[in-house]
Order: sequence, then structure tokens, then C-alpha cells
Amino acid sequence: MISGDIDRLAAEHVMGLLEGGEASTAEKLMGQDTEFTARVEYWRGRFGAFDESAPRIAPSDALWARIEADIARVPQPAARALAPATPSWFAGLWENLGFWRSAGFAGAAAALVLAFGLNASLREQAKKPVMIAVLMTDANRAAAVVNVSADGTAELVPLDDIAVPAGRALQVWTLWDRARGPVSIGLVSRAQRMPLQLGSLPKTGINQLFEISLEPEGGSAIGRPTGPVLMKGTASTAL
Amino acid sequence: MLAATMTRPDTGIAAALRRCAGGDRAALRSIYDSEAPAMIGVAMRILRRRELAEEAVQDAFVRIYQYAASFDPSRGEAKTWIYAILRHRALNILRGEARTDYVEDFEKMDVASEDESPEAAVSRLSDEKSLKKCLETLEPVRRNAVVLAFVSGLTHGEVAGRLGVPLGTVKAWIRRSLVSLRECMG
Repeated sequence: MISGDIDRLAAEHVMGLLEGGEASTAEKLMGQDTEFTARVEYWRGRFGAFDESAPRIAPSDALWARIEADIARVPQPAARALAPATPSWFAGLWENLGFWRSAGFAGAAAALVLAFGLNASLREQAKKPVMIAVLMTDANRAAAVVNVSADGTAELVPLDDIAVPAGRALQVWTLWDRARGPVSIGLVSRAQRMPLQLGSLPKTGINQLFEISLEPEGGSAIGRPTGPVLMKGTASTAL
Repeated sequence: MLAATMTRPDTGIAAALRRCAGGDRAALRSIYDSEAPAMIGVAMRILRRRELAEEAVQDAFVRIYQYAASFDPSRGEAKTWIYAILRHRALNILRGEARTDYVEDFEKMDVASEDESPEAAVSRLSDEKSLKKCLETLEPVRRNAVVLAFVSGLTHGEVAGRLGVPLGTVKAWIRRSLVSLRECMG
């Protein structure tokens, strides 16, 4: 990365403008890359003039008591890096074809074999899937499979345990029409086999995207992914 | 008070953070006394609702206390560090929770504060600050794009909507403005 890029990334990180892959890159660089960390400090210092001149608003009387009550409950951990300073907010990623194309599918072939094996052993009696999507994590690991049967029903089969924090849920999405955007087809509190709600959607097509994002317990309030995308993949025809 | 806060040496907060790391709540209170009003102001610009702004400040102080030991004075200023924590919390609340409230909860919308204009935010900047001088060299609409993104916490898409220009234009404006600002501020 050339130094102008580092500076731009640092500035947009400080402004809270980064999304998707760039946001995670910035989080990884922060504290580990000396130049990036220094550029972030530069921009925080310069833009800090806005914070210094913000209108002063007296806190309500109860605020300090609430803070004290909170700190009485939480332990102070030993020194360690602070959590990433940019929210990994998912927005516009569905629009970004480059992001999807660059997502690693190198492991997909191996994962397909695994998925078929899983199907054969676990679902001897089940309907034969006609379409399969292998959902890959950022680390290029197959984490779940979506099976779509000939009769249009679909099922999610997790391959990997997924850590879901308390109060959060996994939401499954598909994108069959870019104009309409992602459609929620399932919500679950932990990684488990589950039927997906494809009923109201047209027949699943080749390369149709499926993904799982981390959302509040009751699901995204805005009808599209808001949390980090944990895994994604596109549908292929099952042989 | 404004002048006092701005000229207060950063070492005060850094020293208080060291005491916080040792479990000294009075040290946290001293940071609260000097910074909470400005922090609520910063959070209000992003969240526009008092209860959400106080929630962001509350979360920020809990984290400041919790992670005080991880503050490294060799890497940056203490004040910058606490405001980075605050902004992170405020943006998370904005993008995770508050956004839909604005659309769906009209009653609550009534108590949202009036938007401060980007021009007003720039005019509040101290004349001493290179940021002010350098922002003023930018074309006004580009300057507004930068200010709306930082001060109000808007995304590229929201800035585009607000200014009525295409998303790609806003991204390019902000990127070029950042290059100009860097050259100007040194």
C-alpha cells in the first residue's frame, strides 16, 4: 500500500467512513502498523478541533450514578488493545460486485465435496438438493451450506460452530434481485440446521447470493443486513 | 470554561488514566467533570437525541475506566484517545440502533435537536486551529461533505443524499479534500 493510500485509509477510518473490507483492514492495521497508527493519531488530533469546540451540554444528574453502577459490575481487564475503533457496519456491500468477486472461493470445491458427503450421510431419505450454496467465511473456510430442493424448499446446514454473542442472532439473507436488495430468509440464535423461508421468492438461480450476518436478537430492524457478514456464497447446480 | 478546557494540558487526563488503571474512580470522576459536557455535545451532534447521547457518554466512560491500562501515551494524546472511544460508541449506536427510531418513532423525533449546520460547526472552530483555516480553503460544498461525515457521523451515502449529489462524487470530494487538508495542515 502506498503512503497516500495509508493516509486516506487512516483519515476515513477516523471519520467513521470505512465499510466492509476496508474497515476490517483498518482494524487490523491499527496498533500493528506503525505508519497507519501514526496517521490515525494525526487525523484524530486535527479533527479533534471539532470535538474541542462542540457545544457544552451539562450531563443530567443521574449520568454519573449510572456510570458508577456500570463500573462496579464490570471487571477491569489487564492492559490490552482496545476494541477496533471503527464500527464494521455493513452497508452498500451488496452493491459492491468487486467485494463478492474477490471473496475467496478457492476452498469452495473442497467444501462442495464435504457438503455432498454430509448430505449423503445425514439425509439419506431427504429430497435431493438441486442447488447448493457453500457459505465461506472471510478466512476462506466453508462454514455452512444452503441446500435448495427440487420442490423449492431450502435448508441451512452449518458446518462450523459460530460464536453468537448474547443478545445477537444469525440472520440468513439471499439476493435474487439486485434492485430489491437482500431478503431475509431465516433468523436463528445459534448455528443449527434450519429450514429457510424461500417460499415467497422466485426459484433459486445459479449464482444467487446467500449470506449470514450477525444481527440484534429479533433480526435486523431495517430489513437488510446491518451487522458484520460472517459468511457468504453463491448457489451452484448440484450434480 | 471553553478556553480553560482547550488550554488544559493533556497530561491531566493522561495522569488520571493511569490512576483509573489502578482502580481509582475519583480519577475517572475528574475526567468526567472536565470532559462530560463536551462529550455530550459531540455525541449530540451525531445522535441528535439527548438520551442516546448520554448513553454513548455512559458507555464511553465505562470503557475508558475498563481499558485505561491499555492507553499508551507514547502512541497518542490522552484526550484524543477518550474522544475516539466516545465517537466509536456514538457511531455504533447511530448505525446499530438509532437509525430506525428516526423513521419509525415520530414522537421521539420531536425531541431530537435541531441539526447544527456544517457551516455553524466550522465557525465554532477556534481560529487558532489549522483545521479551520484549511477547511476554509475548500470549496464550500466539499467542505460541507467533510464536516457532515465527521461531525454528524454521516456515511458517504447519507452525505450524498443530504447534498443531492451522486455517491461517487461524494467519495471523490472527500478523498480529494483529505489530500488538500493534509497538505494545508502539514
